[in-house]
Amino acid sequence: MILASIGLILLIAGVICDVFGAIGMHRFDNFYLRLHAATVGTIGGKFYPLIGVALIAADMRLWPIAGIALLSALLVMITAPVGSHALAFAAAEKNLVPIEKNEFTGDSR
Amino acid sequence: MRARLAGMLMLGMIIICLAYFLRSLFTSTPEISSLGKFYLQNSYLGERSAGSPEVVTSILWDYRGLDTYFETAVLFLAIISAVSVFRNMEHREVGDGFTGITKTGIKLVAFVTFVTSASVAFHGHLTPGGGFQGGSILAAVSLLVIAGFSKGALEGNGITKDRALAIRTLGLAIITAVAFYPLLEGFNFMQNLPVYPVRIRGLLISGSLLLYNVAEFLAVGAGFTIIFLLLSLPEVRRE
Repeated sequence: MILASIGLILLIAGVICDVFGAIGMHRFDNFYLRLHAATVGTIGGKFYPLIGVALIAADMRLWPIAGIALLSALLVMITAPVGSHALAFAAAEKNLVPIEKNEFTGDSR
Repeated sequence: MRARLAGMLMLGMIIICLAYFLRSLFTSTPEISSLGKFYLQNSYLGERSAGSPEVVTSILWDYRGLDTYFETAVLFLAIISAVSVFRNMEHREVGDGFTGITKTGIKLVAFVTFVTSASVAFHGHLTPGGGFQGGSILAAVSLLVIAGFSKGALEGNGITKDRALAIRTLGLAIITAVAFYPLLEGFNFMQNLPVYPVRIRGLLISGSLLLYNVAEFLAVGAGFTIIFLLLSLPEVRRE
């Protein structure tokens, strides 16, 4: 019961993150900002709901579903940061998208 | 004005989708056609059994096996023609892949994807999936390696175009041999059950379905790998 409640809370949090990610994708006008919104959508809107599904399934003693959900969550946790890192790296390295203000060095290029 | 039009369009699409999915609440459930009933009743238990609880695979490789056989042949011809189009391209190497973060992530994901592809293909006669699906996932592994590392990394580990073509031909040869063997025994072309055993030592292999799935897995995986290798040839820049 407690596990299912926590899972439900995670699912709802995932819905909220997905909505914020969608709004960000629509409203942000920069490639890097949009990448941030997309990552909010994948980590917050996919990773946490999958953990929530695993918890709900564990509460209902559906162990195969819980295992698959946990495995999918692990894969999402690996692929989403790697994918956004690769996109940002490629865009910055080849100067496809100019960086307006570099937070690390302070100058803009 | 355009934003409002887009909003109206989206609203309309949502309403249409809702109506489509909710329509089953208001109409009676559709009848299963007689052919569908035949497949459902016979694929595992009936008299004309294919020995497989997975109805889609038994239709693909047993009841409608001839269709799939020539489909595989067509795919083989397409890959042969791609190889012949690209036969004079030079091999040259540009770039050395992504950062270490990406490479580590790709190593993990590629391993998991490889295991998944094998599981999808070898369980094709038990669970949804099969040779073509498993082979496509296998080819995705090679595409991952090409994207994250380089074309040379794949070829340096022994997966060259010629070797992939050999594996592709081997898979097709296995399919042809399994399809023609019942003729020698006096049965029909691509016949499944009396010719091949349903179980080996209690393990359900569904006659020839497992053989076809494994062969198609090799053929499709290697075939798409060839295509990805050819398409990832770097363009030559003319000065």
